[in-house]
Amino acid sequence: MAATPAVAIHQFAECITCHAWSPDQSMIAFCPNNNEVHIYKLFTDKWEKLHVLAKHDQIVSGIDWSRSSNKIVTVSHDRNSYVWTQEGSDWVPTLVILKLNRAALCVQWSPKENKFAVGSGAKSVCICYYEQENNWWISKVIRKRHESSVTSLAWHPNNIYLATTSTDGKCRVFSTFIKGVDTRGSQSSTATDSKFGEQITQLDLSSTWAFGVRWSASGKTLAYAGHNSMIYFVDEVESAPAAQNLALRDLPLRDVLFVSESVAIGVGFDCNPMIFAADDTGLWSFVRFLDERKATPSTSKASQLSEALGKLYGQSKGTSSDTVEPSKPRGGAHENCITCIVPLTKGRDGTIKRFSTSGLDGKIVVWDLENHITIAK
Amino acid sequence: MASSAAYLDADENLEAIISHIEQKSRKIETLLKQSKPVEALKTALEGSPLKTRDERCKSANWIVVHRAMMAIRDVDGMFNSLDPEYYDILMKYLYRGLSTGDRPTCDQCLKIHEKLTEKAGLGCILRSLADTVNTV
Repeated sequence: MAATPAVAIHQFAECITCHAWSPDQSMIAFCPNNNEVHIYKLFTDKWEKLHVLAKHDQIVSGIDWSRSSNKIVTVSHDRNSYVWTQEGSDWVPTLVILKLNRAALCVQWSPKENKFAVGSGAKSVCICYYEQENNWWISKVIRKRHESSVTSLAWHPNNIYLATTSTDGKCRVFSTFIKGVDTRGSQSSTATDSKFGEQITQLDLSSTWAFGVRWSASGKTLAYAGHNSMIYFVDEVESAPAAQNLALRDLPLRDVLFVSESVAIGVGFDCNPMIFAADDTGLWSFVRFLDERKATPSTSKASQLSEALGKLYGQSKGTSSDTVEPSKPRGGAHENCITCIVPLTKGRDGTIKRFSTSGLDGKIVVWDLENHITIAK
Repeated sequence: MASSAAYLDADENLEAIISHIEQKSRKIETLLKQSKPVEALKTALEGSPLKTRDERCKSANWIVVHRAMMAIRDVDGMFNSLDPEYYDILMKYLYRGLSTGDRPTCDQCLKIHEKLTEKAGLGCILRSLADTVNTV
């Protein structure tokens, strides 16, 4: 009937850590699980490698490409961060001193692109801003509160609040208000009245590692994934947090994206994007997997598992195959865990129509939602 | 660790938990005599002492759950009347059962595990493994 929602599948490397698109989406930057960032450009129907950004010493764990200012920021396990600016046909790096003694794990430009946040294994978050007079980036560190590594970050549309998830299982919202960078404005709001590093909320919903935090476009709803196969949707985060804990049937998620205020996509170890939707009362639930391609084998995963368990305990349960194959190719777009989801194009109604995913299988897949899910505003 | 006052409070709490488990045990014996093993299992799983750290309470509840679990003959039939809210806690007890190494217990646990995984999915297994706070 309708074509598959995966409109483009590119095998760029054996494994991809993270990826980001250029503002006009003609170029893609990703880390092929090493210390480099590769930039590819689409020429008619073929992707060609255009640049290799090689300044980091260890794996590049985060890349973000700003839409308006066209700057690439990269962070790495080598505890450094570089802001890359395009000069002619070259990308020129500027080192940003983060003052970290552990790996940098994730990075995000703020909505106004005048700041970027870096989450680290040093249980801290660095907020970096540009100082015009000295022509360099300064890092201000939020050292308190986190009890373990910061796995993901998300900026609230007000450019001040930042949500973080950590391997201590908690999701926190901080203020990153910086004098001289952020303005107080004529109307006083809790955001502009807050102090840098002030913790606005702490959500202790998961007793396991938390990943993939994201705000909805309006900032009204927050979502993040727990490694215990749960996804959490929280409303009114700043004032009176009201959370919904959704238990997933399958494997845990690693990243989340809001497609509209009432539809979200989760990606993770099932290698297939999951669609979540909220009904008119605001109740979230799992709808279905996005990719409809089914695996061909007749034995379900569960009976394969119990066959294996049966063998372990000396019972023979299965009558079909003698050998248990735990990793059959599933027939879907991705063959391994999806670790990163990035929005691409917005429709006229403000909802996201296209997004891309990258994973441990080294593929980047572009998904189109038009005709595949009806998105209620 | 805890101050002496809090410790005393915990002691009383534990006594309450143990007597609750004893109550459950009697109810379960009655239900089993009436050939209602699924009701017995539900009773055993309800009000399990997940939050406490005390091993005696956890073992006492395990004995009760084990008794009900071993009495189940029709595993498929059991899932027809077991509500999904019990899935996560049942999975945790299945793993406790598997860890005993006792042959009849493990056989029964594996039988139930296969069906439960079909019904509840791998997410259920993950929650039982990942949750280090609410343990059985």
